[in-house]
Amino acid sequence: MNDATRPDLTMFLASSVHDMKNSISMMIGTLQEIVGKADPESHPHYRDMAHMLYETQRINGNLIQLLTLYKFDNDLYPFSPDSVALADFVREAQSHVQTLLDSKQIAFEADLAPDLYGEFDQDLVTGVIVHAMNNAANYTRDRIRLAVAEIDGELEFRVEDNGRGFPKAMIEEGAAAMRGTDFGTGSTGLGLYFSAVVAKMHRNRNQRGSIRLENGGRLGGGCFVLRLP
Amino acid sequence: MTSPRTPFGGAATDYELFANSAFLIVDDFQGMRSMLSSLVRACGAGAKMIDTAANGTEAITMLGRRRYDVVLCDFNLGSGKNGQQVLEEARVMNLIGPACCWLMVTAEKSTETFMGTAEIQPDAYLIKPITEAVLTARLHKIKARKQAFVDIDAAMAAKDFLKAIRLCDERAKTDRANAVDLLRVKCQLLVQAGQLDKAKQAYESILASRDIPWAQLGLARAHHQAGDLERARDILEQLVDRNRSYLEAYDWLSRTYRALGDKDKAESVLARALALSPNSHTRQQALGEVALELGKLDAAEKAFRKSVTLSEHSALKKPDPFLGLARTASAKADPGEALKVLEQLQGTFDNEEVRLRAKAVEGMVHQQNGDPVAARRVAQELSGMLERAAVHLDSTSTREVAGLMFATGENGKAIELLEAEVMNNPDDRTLLESVQQIFNKAGLDSQGAAVIEKTRGEALTLMNQGVLLAREERFEEAIAAMRHAREKMPKNVRVLLNAAYVTITHMQRGHFDQALAREARKCLLEANQLAPAEPRFAQLLAALEALAKDARH
Repeated sequence: MNDATRPDLTMFLASSVHDMKNSISMMIGTLQEIVGKADPESHPHYRDMAHMLYETQRINGNLIQLLTLYKFDNDLYPFSPDSVALADFVREAQSHVQTLLDSKQIAFEADLAPDLYGEFDQDLVTGVIVHAMNNAANYTRDRIRLAVAEIDGELEFRVEDNGRGFPKAMIEEGAAAMRGTDFGTGSTGLGLYFSAVVAKMHRNRNQRGSIRLENGGRLGGGCFVLRLP
Repeated sequence: MTSPRTPFGGAATDYELFANSAFLIVDDFQGMRSMLSSLVRACGAGAKMIDTAANGTEAITMLGRRRYDVVLCDFNLGSGKNGQQVLEEARVMNLIGPACCWLMVTAEKSTETFMGTAEIQPDAYLIKPITEAVLTARLHKIKARKQAFVDIDAAMAAKDFLKAIRLCDERAKTDRANAVDLLRVKCQLLVQAGQLDKAKQAYESILASRDIPWAQLGLARAHHQAGDLERARDILEQLVDRNRSYLEAYDWLSRTYRALGDKDKAESVLARALALSPNSHTRQQALGEVALELGKLDAAEKAFRKSVTLSEHSALKKPDPFLGLARTASAKADPGEALKVLEQLQGTFDNEEVRLRAKAVEGMVHQQNGDPVAARRVAQELSGMLERAAVHLDSTSTREVAGLMFATGENGKAIELLEAEVMNNPDDRTLLESVQQIFNKAGLDSQGAAVIEKTRGEALTLMNQGVLLAREERFEEAIAAMRHAREKMPKNVRVLLNAAYVTITHMQRGHFDQALAREARKCLLEANQLAPAEPRFAQLLAALEALAKDARH
């Protein structure tokens, strides 16, 4: 094979990630159905299956992030901000993690004004918030709160938990991801980087979106905060 | 009675949304089909209300048998039609009504699957994995949107743009959930109604509070329509710079450059858009045309070929890429290939207009490749076909035929065709110039100028006669004069609008008549077909609607 006929390897990467995404979507659907129907008390493998669902969702999240970042770089992502009813948004985001939360007996609470609307790319922001909630599910004691509010003309999303909070180094990583300097390591790095890129894609006038990690909030644990102009 | 339990504690309406609806699930993977079926069942749908199809052909068959309320269709259906093409065919063949909710399912969001520029669009895109809550929320949203737009869509279908605008305004006062869509549609309607200043104002006031890409695109389109091409270009350049995957903006930017006469830029902008999304047959066709005009024959051939291949399974396929391909082959001195393509074209489309257009290109192929005898034979055949034809050829084809007639010595026929073109478009400078060039090419410069001058004068007299008579309140004579003018110039927009104007004014003086109202409406709709966004159209149609309404009371 000479160089002229050698295919672009990044294309293979992108297309096989696409293929994997299809398979994983199916696995998630099936697992959600099984875990949803199984009785936590009596089913012998309930905890294992719930954990498998969590891992599958993590892989799916990572794949989406990788694929989307690849598309951003090549101008192949159809960025489509639209008017979104936040009540719907929260309900949909919750549905992606509900089975997981049930299996871990984590209580979920949503906090937003009933008639709140925002202008953003629903698919991207769902990806960011679901990632944050999955993360919170892993570190919380038994509660997660998703709050959305309009603050100073910006839309603020908060994912809060009642766990022990983020270590100091992690909060630094959040800030670094926004600066675009240092992305830490492993999947935390990818998730934060993705979230920061999505936030910054949302612009209005001279303002850009942002993310940050902090401790405290209403539940006293870790908080992931996304702000969109 | 207790309300049925629904997922995620939704209201009973969630359940009703599913319980009484017929679903079609289209996916090429068995596993996905059964998963989506059980998802829809979990939402409350009855098992007998769910059908599945494994590919596009099967889906079309199913859609022909039953009226579905909801279609969940995967974009990627393996070989054959993709989801977008199934949707297009279903709409074109009227297999789904306006109330049907079409949800396009994709594994990921990309410029390839997200057909922001397509003429026919699904009601929503769903990205896998889909949950009950996602499906329920999206269906609610679509239903609410369809509900909000019932009257507006009806007014739009009747081309009553001013009424549709009024309805958008009224609805927007109370409907927060659809406020943005209503505003967007209203702005588009203002452009369609030719109220460009109002449209610009509306877009600018949106942009004053927020940078919204669709509003920027809309503003550019309004400037384009108003003839302020430089302004449109500047807005669009900035738009694609900040939104690099906004394909529709590239299409308009290319159109704007073409209108500005900068074909090189028009080509490079299209090439950029195609690098991002190569699978649009209309965009490939547009690229082929510009490349052909620039004499870049290899590029033109490649683009036309792609357009033909891409539209193979599309219900919206057009003869144009075949014709482009034949013209390109001819320009490459390959008449055999050109004629083969024309044959292929007529095997794909079977109608009179296509036969005429193919014939015109066939003659040109012979003429261009040194076979004047064959060209002359084709020209004579074409003359006969045109005499008998029940359809009018479009302006570009007519000019092409005229060129062929000159080249083969059929000057009388050529002049007759060009006179009709001038009669129909006496105010269109670009067209008049192109007619003059056809004369020049035949070495008939001064005769051409004289013919154009004389024909234009004749047209203008006929066009204004009716209006002058109407000014003297001689309405019956005015209507007769306009009928005569329409016979002479059936595609003259001003004649059609003036005819409608005198007829409507006559009826406004207390002479309402069903037959006259029908005649006026026919004139208006023909004018709108020829020249969309003509402001007089919207005003006259509104006046006619008011008359018809009074007559009913």
